Amino acid sequence: MIAAYGLSKFFPIRGAFRSTTSLKAVDDVGLKIQNEQVVGLVGESGSGKSTVGRCLIRLLKPTEGEILFDIPDSELVEYEKARAEDATKRVDAIADRFSLLRRSSSELRSLRRLANIVFQDPYSSLNPRMRLADIITEPMLSTRFCTRAEAEIRARELLREVGLPEFFEDRYPHELSGGQRQRVAIARAISTNPKLLILDEPTSALDVSVQAQILNLLRGLQEKYGISMLLITHNIAVVAYLAEYVYVMYAGKIMEWGEKGKVLRDPQHPYTKALMSSVPVIGETMTRTILRGDPPNLVSPPIACRFHPRCPVAFEVCGWSAEEVAEDLEYLLAGKYYEGFGDAVSVIAEGERTITIQGTTDAERIRELVGLENEEVRSLKSVEAIDVSDGSTVVRLHEPVEPEMYPAPDGRQVKCLLFRPDVSPPTGNA
Amino acid sequence: MSDALAIRDLQVHFHTRRGLYKALNGVNLGLRRGEVLGIAGESGCGKTTLGLAVMSLLPRNASIPGGKVIFDKKDLVNLPREYSERVGDRFNPKENERVLRRVGKAMTGIRGRRISMVFQEPMTSLNPVLPIGFQVAEAIYVHDPALLARRVLSRSKATPALLKELMALLVATHGDEASLRKFAAEHGLAGIEEQALFIWNRGDIHISRKEKAIRALSGAPVNRAELKIIEVVARTGSIPPQYARVPVLSRIVRRVLIKEGYRKARELLTSLGIHHAERVVKMYPHELSGGMRQRVVIAIALANNPEIVIMDEPTSAVDVTVQAQILELVKRIRTSVSASFIVISHDLAVLAEVCDRIAIMYAGRVVEVAPTDQILQKPLHPYTQLLISAIPTLEAKPVEGIKGDVPDMRAVPVGCAFHPRCPFAFEKCHEIIPIDLPHGNDQLVACWLYEAK
Repeated sequence: MIAAYGLSKFFPIRGAFRSTTSLKAVDDVGLKIQNEQVVGLVGESGSGKSTVGRCLIRLLKPTEGEILFDIPDSELVEYEKARAEDATKRVDAIADRFSLLRRSSSELRSLRRLANIVFQDPYSSLNPRMRLADIITEPMLSTRFCTRAEAEIRARELLREVGLPEFFEDRYPHELSGGQRQRVAIARAISTNPKLLILDEPTSALDVSVQAQILNLLRGLQEKYGISMLLITHNIAVVAYLAEYVYVMYAGKIMEWGEKGKVLRDPQHPYTKALMSSVPVIGETMTRTILRGDPPNLVSPPIACRFHPRCPVAFEVCGWSAEEVAEDLEYLLAGKYYEGFGDAVSVIAEGERTITIQGTTDAERIRELVGLENEEVRSLKSVEAIDVSDGSTVVRLHEPVEPEMYPAPDGRQVKCLLFRPDVSPPTGNA
Repeated sequence: MSDALAIRDLQVHFHTRRGLYKALNGVNLGLRRGEVLGIAGESGCGKTTLGLAVMSLLPRNASIPGGKVIFDKKDLVNLPREYSERVGDRFNPKENERVLRRVGKAMTGIRGRRISMVFQEPMTSLNPVLPIGFQVAEAIYVHDPALLARRVLSRSKATPALLKELMALLVATHGDEASLRKFAAEHGLAGIEEQALFIWNRGDIHISRKEKAIRALSGAPVNRAELKIIEVVARTGSIPPQYARVPVLSRIVRRVLIKEGYRKARELLTSLGIHHAERVVKMYPHELSGGMRQRVVIAIALANNPEIVIMDEPTSAVDVTVQAQILELVKRIRTSVSASFIVISHDLAVLAEVCDRIAIMYAGRVVEVAPTDQILQKPLHPYTQLLISAIPTLEAKPVEGIKGDVPDMRAVPVGCAFHPRCPFAFEKCHEIIPIDLPHGNDQLVACWLYEAK
């Protein structure tokens, strides 16, 4: 139905002196939704899940990447093969026909019939000055789906379809409750018989009792019309209720994807594991993996795996920078291992891979400390060698490795170095 | 033992241009000492209004036509209630504002000191133009300047020899608070014990550094003028008005005590699990992440060792992984402080995690109260049952919405407010508001279905 490859979206940030940096909201995301499939995209706020949704229907123009829309399976297989072989010509030939990024704005307008979006906040996504009938007919008219007379008849049908009485057509959004508004937004989104529906947090502004109604409505519509849906949400239970496949995003990257049952019940990526164990469940007391810290700043994201600073099982090559290690080392030397080092010690990060500890030449003791603490303070795992030179101790770190999507035996894919096929996973399990 | 807080038949009405909005219609609730009580309900059910009413933070268009909030044998809402009773329908927000101002004055010794509140949105409840250390310090400076004064004084008096003795005592008693306090009182060092204990209880530093830090407590540089003023503050327990009138003096008091407040803020933040607190206290709210901000707000709420802490949606603005951190923190502080907690949330699963008892609210009334396990496993009230079955789970069991919408609080249905949506409603429900019926073990349910036949 729709497939995205290497999708990236950077938002420019203009700082002082006109230097331009960018916020890497979405970075190299691959995603596929098949016909009549409901796919969930979960992640915390700021993980870039809404940006992905907006890029997919070209509300935003991606910085990089390719989006193929409404593509038959056979062609998609062909495209993937060509892409793997780096056959630029064949890739271009297929992309020319299906890529959303190569459409002119008038072509896009007619394509909009086939894909639509429901936004999170039904209080701001409906124009307060339009009657419900006008709100619902607008996409049909603007994409020349049908004539005005037909559209008005259809608007009444749609109102009934989403469980609202027909006489609501003359009402205005402010007269409705939150749940009723979201029903109108859904009616508007399905008015042009789309093949793909993007649901951006469709229930997070609603109370649970109303949320359940909306979820059941969406499920009913999906079964009746076979619409493909991308369900973007932070609420894992909502995904569990509607979706077949789940993508888990963190800090602009997909961390794990696979069948819902597998990913949610038996998560493999350390982030997914922590995420699932953080979800409070009624009537269940389980041991939680409490992550330390907060999601990273995406202007200067952590190198290599973006999850490594919070990861409970991060190891040597996950992407530790000298600064991160130096901070942890300093904390330990000034706190728990104060004895023997005293106040004279200072830890300085030099470049990306080396740290100098001034004021001590006791490399043996630092080696011992690193050995003792590296289960608890994961950044110390990245220490490769500790030597003495020029009256200070020099710590060298491992070279980081950028993780890719690695296939797990049960069909899912995980972006974690623990799952590299060529390397046996190191010790430690979340 | 009596309840820490008792709410009796509390009613709160908002006078709006579009009519009388009956936010609370007779809430009965008791907060037991040392417990964590959860209040759950959908938006608009009055759970936040209840919190605000207890804190006397209601806006001027709110009247309290009836009910009591009893804290420490005093009724916190008697003034606005008397006003509402006196004027009846001729309610005037301007006059009410005058009443509320008087209530505000009467509440200064209670609000923020004995009852404190954590608000929903940590960004808006912190002042964006002040460093967070100052905001914690200010909370203590306003309510308990003597505490800060004692801390400075004790440090200026402490000699290295005494601190060495104190350290030995800490090692000998493994950080026993009572004996430490006795020691401090005997040597005229009241105020040093909490500083020493804080250092002693830190898990992340080596004992030799603890020793050094405790020794470093001695000899705070205080000049003679400051010392005199601070002594008065420590003795009288408040800043004498004659000081407040003289700008030079009040500035000295403020400077010394706020500086001490920063020190206390560092201790508080460290004990709430923030690393490098000495750096964090100098930061401004926008520099902190959501989880850190929420910790700061909790630190401010706990700064004065309150008896009751009200948390209004403490985790709604943060992500699940951070929510798990905050819930863990709440579970930890409830064992370390002697306060009772009220946690308000729309998420039953969050409450299930931290609460001893849960109260379910609907349309301005408490419909059911019971111990957490009991209410989740055997909910009695039809609303509670439907609410629980509407929560989607990871097992993707079919969920059922509750038909209809939350009632308009300007025209609450006669009888039980839930009857238009209730599948079990019968004649009596349409006519008479149900009373709280005790059921089984410690469970109260306001539903006619459970009336003894």
